[in-house]
Formats: sequence, structure tokens, C-alpha cells
Amino acid sequence: MDSFIKLSNFPKLLPYSQLFWQGILVTVLLSVFTVLIGFCIALVLALMRLSNFRPLRFLALDQDGHQKQQGFLALVGRFNPLDFLATAYVEILRSTPVIVQIFIIYYGVFSLIKLPSFLMFGFIRFDRFFPGVVALGLNSGAYLCEIIRAGIQSIDGGQTEAARSLGLSQAQNMRYIILPQAVKNILPAIANEFVIIIKESAITYTIGVQDIMSAVNAVKGATFIIIEPLLVATAIYFCLCFPTSKLIAYFERRMSRGDRR
Amino acid sequence: MATGDNLIQVTDLKKYYNMGAIKALDGVTADIRRGDVMAVIGPSGSGKSTFLRSLNLLEEPTGGSIVFEGVDITRKKYKDASGKTVTLDVDALRQKMGMVFQHFNLFPHMTILGNMTLAPIKVKGLKQEEAEAKALALLDRVGLKDRAEAYPIQLSGGQKQRVAIVRALAMEPEVMLFDEPTSALDPEMVGEVLDVMRELAREGMTMVCVTHEMGFAREVGNRVLFMSDGRLLEQGTPEDVFDHPQHPRLRDFLAKVL
Repeated sequence: MDSFIKLSNFPKLLPYSQLFWQGILVTVLLSVFTVLIGFCIALVLALMRLSNFRPLRFLALDQDGHQKQQGFLALVGRFNPLDFLATAYVEILRSTPVIVQIFIIYYGVFSLIKLPSFLMFGFIRFDRFFPGVVALGLNSGAYLCEIIRAGIQSIDGGQTEAARSLGLSQAQNMRYIILPQAVKNILPAIANEFVIIIKESAITYTIGVQDIMSAVNAVKGATFIIIEPLLVATAIYFCLCFPTSKLIAYFERRMSRGDRR
Repeated sequence: MATGDNLIQVTDLKKYYNMGAIKALDGVTADIRRGDVMAVIGPSGSGKSTFLRSLNLLEEPTGGSIVFEGVDITRKKYKDASGKTVTLDVDALRQKMGMVFQHFNLFPHMTILGNMTLAPIKVKGLKQEEAEAKALALLDRVGLKDRAEAYPIQLSGGQKQRVAIVRALAMEPEVMLFDEPTSALDPEMVGEVLDVMRELAREGMTMVCVTHEMGFAREVGNRVLFMSDGRLLEQGTPEDVFDHPQHPRLRDFLAKVL
């Protein structure tokens, strides 16, 4: 039977195995840094979206110092520029393709900012890797923001009421009451985002990051074999993602067991 | 200040939702004197809880005034004694008003001791040892000293509510606000919580209790407020309200609950 897969092609890939090992390291590094950057951005964005910052509030006070309930000025008084900016950021990043964002970051932003060109671990080109991480981090920041926001909002409103009734400020309430509980709730979702990023990071090969897909491309260019290196890449991505999501599921079960106590 | 001084003066308090389509509070006027144990009764949806929650600004009133210790706390800005305009410090205000909720609202990720010492340490600046000693003394008073290291999930409903009460007391408030503190409890646990509240009343704590426990309102309260449809329809001593109700709505209500 004829097949599009030729077993005889696999041995021909062996000389290039080094590229795949390097690709795995790059992909893992890329994903880890992306989640770290993404989480930091997301936390700031989520807090901006949930903030109560209303600098124009004074416009909506009547003579008695009460907050006006209706009219244009009441709307102006409720305007929260932090929430507006963060929401705009999230919606724009989520409504445009990652590849467009990566190209804009790489060909646009980093054409102005000159990056030092040195090799990490002797082979990772920093001037390609760094823009890739930044672009993916900015993108996943938007998604993680919504995860964190949902996590914060999932905490019962009574917690905030109790904390504020005891005299804790908004910031103290976040720091001591809400975030410790929210983080525990959203850890599985963040880990899932990590798995998604492992797969999505493949797109950075388009700007020359030497990840697993870039290894496939290199083999293709040198040997004109396409399907077999793709199958190798498939196996590698699967071996990275599947155990990770199984591990997450395991920890999720353990954590919910703690709740029932 | 002596017992009987006005602590909180509420005047024509209004709380509207949906641009006035829903009137949760429709002009409530009442005064709370130091040492008062005030029971607020009425059918559900009558605005009792909204009234209580307005007192420490968990609800932002739409109109009217609440004067607490000489300051109208419904205004974002006010003039102090020297005529300077200052912004109302809501956090400082709330420290003086302890609040107990229907659903306890203990912090599930902290031990009982952690629940009780967080605000004294972070807000009042007490040292850890000080705050813990105080918390343990309070826990001892409600018979829960041995549960200091437990987590809220390990306690029964009645125990949780007793902890919630002493957690509020740890901030040494001027007044305690109770929002249906026994409504979420199993019947056999209501007594232990009411006992703690009775004890507090005996010590002279100023208390405002939204409650469905008519027996408690009559026995412990020195004043009873009856609310319906966002309005304060009748107030007086427990004898006045329970034995000689004037308003038909109150008679109707008492006929149903007693």
C-alpha cells in the first residue's frame, strides 16, 4: 500500500536531531518566559479593570457633596480611565491574529530598539528570541487578564464586605483577602494557558526563533523531506503538552480535595 | 460620652436603584443613642438590611444624611472644626462600626486567629503578639479559645458566627451592626449566637440588629424599629411595638410571625 509517510525517511533525519533538541529547549524557555511576562502584565491589567479610580468624580458631586445619580455628568463621574485603557488593550489583542502582533513587534517596535545580538546557550539568537517572548507575552497577558479577572470576581462579595467593614482599604482587601483565594482558583486555568502557549509559540519560527517548527523547516530546506520531520514535531509537541495537562488535572483534583477537608 | 447621647442620627435616608424606579429606602429618619440595643424588624424586602448597610456605607445612600460622631458620612467631603475641607475617610469610619453578616463571611484561607488579628495588625498597627493575646481573650469569652488554630471550614455555623462577632469586636468598635446574624443557622445553633449578643448588650455595647428573632428583639432590645417598603412605619419600646402595635402593616406582620 502506498503511504504518504515513508519509514525510510526517518533515519535521514538523524543527523539533524541536534536541531530538534535545541528546538525543545527554545520552545520550553519561550513558553515559561511568556507565561511569566504574561502573568505580570495580566495582573496589572486585571487590577486596572477592577479598580475604582474615578478622577472626574468631583464633577458629579452636587452642592451637598452627594454623588449625582443621573445625567451626563454622572456618567463622566463614573469614567475610569484605567479600566478603559486595560479593556481596550485586552479587546484589541484578543481580536487580532497573533502573527500580525508578532510581525508588528518584530519588524516595527524592535526595528527602532536595537537589541544586542548574542547567543544564549551558544545557539539561541537573542535578537530573535526576545521579540518573540515579548510579543507572545503581550498577547497572553490579554488572555490571562481575563482569567485573573474572572478569578477575582469569583470570590464571594461577602469577603470584600467583611474586609472593608473591618476597616481594610481596597488595596489591603486585594492583597490579604481576595488575591490569595483567587490565585488558588485560577492556577489550573493559568497552567492551561501554559499548554496553549507551548503550542502557539510555534508561530515564532516566522521571525526566526529556533524552536521546534524552525527545526522542521531547516530539515525541509536541507533534505526536501517534509512529512516525517512534521511527524517528529507532532510527537514532541504531544509529549510536552499531554503530560503537562495530565499533571495539571492531577493537581486540580488534589487542590479541590483540600477544600472538602 | 455617656449612655443616651446620640451616636448616629439618620435623617430622611434614601436609597434608590435604577434611577429611582426601586426605592429600597424611602426617607428613613431614626437616631441611635449610645447604649441602645435596637432591633430592626419587618418583612423581607422592606429595606432593613439596606438601612443597616448604609450605616457603614456598604451601600451608598442616594439622599439624606447620616451623622456619626458629628460628621455627615454620606458626603464625600466635609468641613472640619477649623473650617478646612477634608475628604471622608471611609476606612477609618468603618473601624468604629463592627459588622456581622448573615453568612459569617469569615476568611476561609486563614485560621480563626488569622481572621481575628488581620485587621488589628494591618489597620490599627497592633503588634502580632498584642493582637493575638487580645484575640485569644475574646475567643475565650465565647468559648472558642481551643479552636484558634482551626480553619473556618472546620467550625459549625454557630461557632463561625461567634467568631465573626468577636472578629468585629477585636477592632473595638463604637457600635455593632448585625445583619440577620441567625438567619443562616441551624435552629439548634441560634441560641449560642443570641447568648453572645445578649452578653454584649448587657455590657452596654451599642447594637443595631436586623433580626427575625422576635423573642430576642423583645427581650434584649430597648427599641424596636418596624420597616416596610423602604419606610420606617413604627418605632418604640418592645412593649409599644409588640403589645400595642398601631400601624395596620405592623399588626399584619406580627400576626404572621408571632
